[in-house]
Amino acid sequence: MTVTSRSLAHVRQAGAEHEWGWVLQALTGIGVLVLVTLHMVANHFVGPDGLRDFAGVIAYLSSPLIVVLEVTFLVTVTWHALLGVRAVLFDFGFSPRVERAITRVLAAVGVVTVGYGLWLTALITGQG
Amino acid sequence: MSTHPDTGRGADPRRRGIAGWFDPRGRRLGGWAFALNRLSGLGVLLYLYLHLVILSTLASGAGAWNDFVALASSPVVLAFDVVLLAGLLLHGLNGLRVTLMGFGLVTGHRNAMIVALVLIAALVALGGAARIFGMV
Repeated sequence: MTVTSRSLAHVRQAGAEHEWGWVLQALTGIGVLVLVTLHMVANHFVGPDGLRDFAGVIAYLSSPLIVVLEVTFLVTVTWHALLGVRAVLFDFGFSPRVERAITRVLAAVGVVTVGYGLWLTALITGQG
Repeated sequence: MSTHPDTGRGADPRRRGIAGWFDPRGRRLGGWAFALNRLSGLGVLLYLYLHLVILSTLASGAGAWNDFVALASSPVVLAFDVVLLAGLLLHGLNGLRVTLMGFGLVTGHRNAMIVALVLIAALVALGGAARIFGMV
């Protein structure tokens, strides 16, 4: 049986993608665990009645530290979530070509998601 | 360290698609934890985008957001919050377990850790439910 170097390269490449996917999933997951805890404490334990009204949200986002916390959370959780979608889709056993396309599409979804979140944050803070 | 501790592969369990998550053949507790992690992950993914949609009402000014704040205190939404909290706890604690095992920081006690994380998630979610419904 002949195994071409090209097909072996595919096997190595697919294996490598799965490896960095899992390690990045774990590292971003640790980040999400810390940031989601801060996010929930800051939004639902600090302040009255567990959820801020409009004026409260504007005041909350007037702190640069809070904006940094929330934006860091947005980037980390989006990255982690879309790596998770990638892992689910890779369970189906598509070809390496389709898997690379999935990675590119999900990266684009991530950029759009974070971009929308940043735009929304700027719009809300601009109302203060 | 780069293989998934529950499946022995990278991001890839057995390449049997979604049905493979629930295939009981040769299944150990870690395999069920893996399926639980995928399901809770998809659940909180849906919530993440729902959350972004709801936050978008902030762009329309005070009226729309304050209407949502009023809706958020209804019992149905509060019950949804408890389900969300339980999903986040299960996903987060299981992810922590998988990470600690994957990086070789914890070895052994595999089943005990899964039982412990489910119990901790249940207890914290119950405490959270009491707090969310204003009982404590």
